[in-house]
Amino acid sequence: MPQLNPAPWLAILTFSWLIFLTVIPPKILAHSFPNEPTPHSTKAPKTDPWMWPWH
Amino acid sequence: MALSFFDQFMSPNFLGIPLIAMAIALPWTLYPTPSTRWLSNRLLTLQNWSINRFTQQLLLPLNQEGHKWAALLASLMIFLLSLNMLGLLPYTFTPTTQLSLNLGLAVPLWLATVIIGMRNRPTHALGHLLPEGTPSLLIPILIIIETISLLIRPIALGVRLTANLTAGHLLIQLIATASFVLLPLMPTVAVLTTALLFLLTLLEVAVAMIQAYVFVLLLSLYLQENV
Repeated sequence: MPQLNPAPWLAILTFSWLIFLTVIPPKILAHSFPNEPTPHSTKAPKTDPWMWPWH
Repeated sequence: MALSFFDQFMSPNFLGIPLIAMAIALPWTLYPTPSTRWLSNRLLTLQNWSINRFTQQLLLPLNQEGHKWAALLASLMIFLLSLNMLGLLPYTFTPTTQLSLNLGLAVPLWLATVIIGMRNRPTHALGHLLPEGTPSLLIPILIIIETISLLIRPIALGVRLTANLTAGHLLIQLIATASFVLLPLMPTVAVLTTALLFLLTLLEVAVAMIQAYVFVLLLSLYLQENV
């Protein structure tokens, strides 16, 4: 079975880890996941009066 | 030299360039890096949604500590899924058929979970070696069995992926060869064999996705035990 040929093992190992650590995580981490948008309600929200002083 | 059916798995070299390097390095051109644009294109939106949902599902059984592994596990899933799926195209090379790559991923990641468990919660980690409610007489032998099953995990993880993909590719090549050879001799049988080949290719698409998922899922389970 050619997979058992130990000659390219180290090269494949180091190269795959190199790509796995340097190329992919920045691409994955650059994705941002914003919050789900909340739907507008038809009624205006109830406002509480301003009780405390400005300063 | 006469080609055998296993020669498709030899790490190919062309003009001195190891093509496995191209096979590992190029699939990421299919994943554009998102910018700070509010609305991206369809491809990016689709990938964004998939990564989000997948990571959410995968991290459900993990506690807060385990969530630190989110980026790693998501990257691993994308890595394996892309390599597996692209290998099903004609004339491509599947790097995940190489035992070196799969063991090279499985052993360090499994070892990381074990070391994390042993460092932070050694009693809890070792407690997994004895299932609750075992009769006292069976304790020594069960500890031995559980230790063996623990140590066999990385090998199983790597070899599972290798064997599944190798077997799939081998089957595809065998049945395609059969279909091709039978074409002048028994055309009807050749047509049936081609139909079988089509179904097999569909199966291999499923296997490619499932095996990538199983690898990452098992790793998350090993993490869940130890974190």
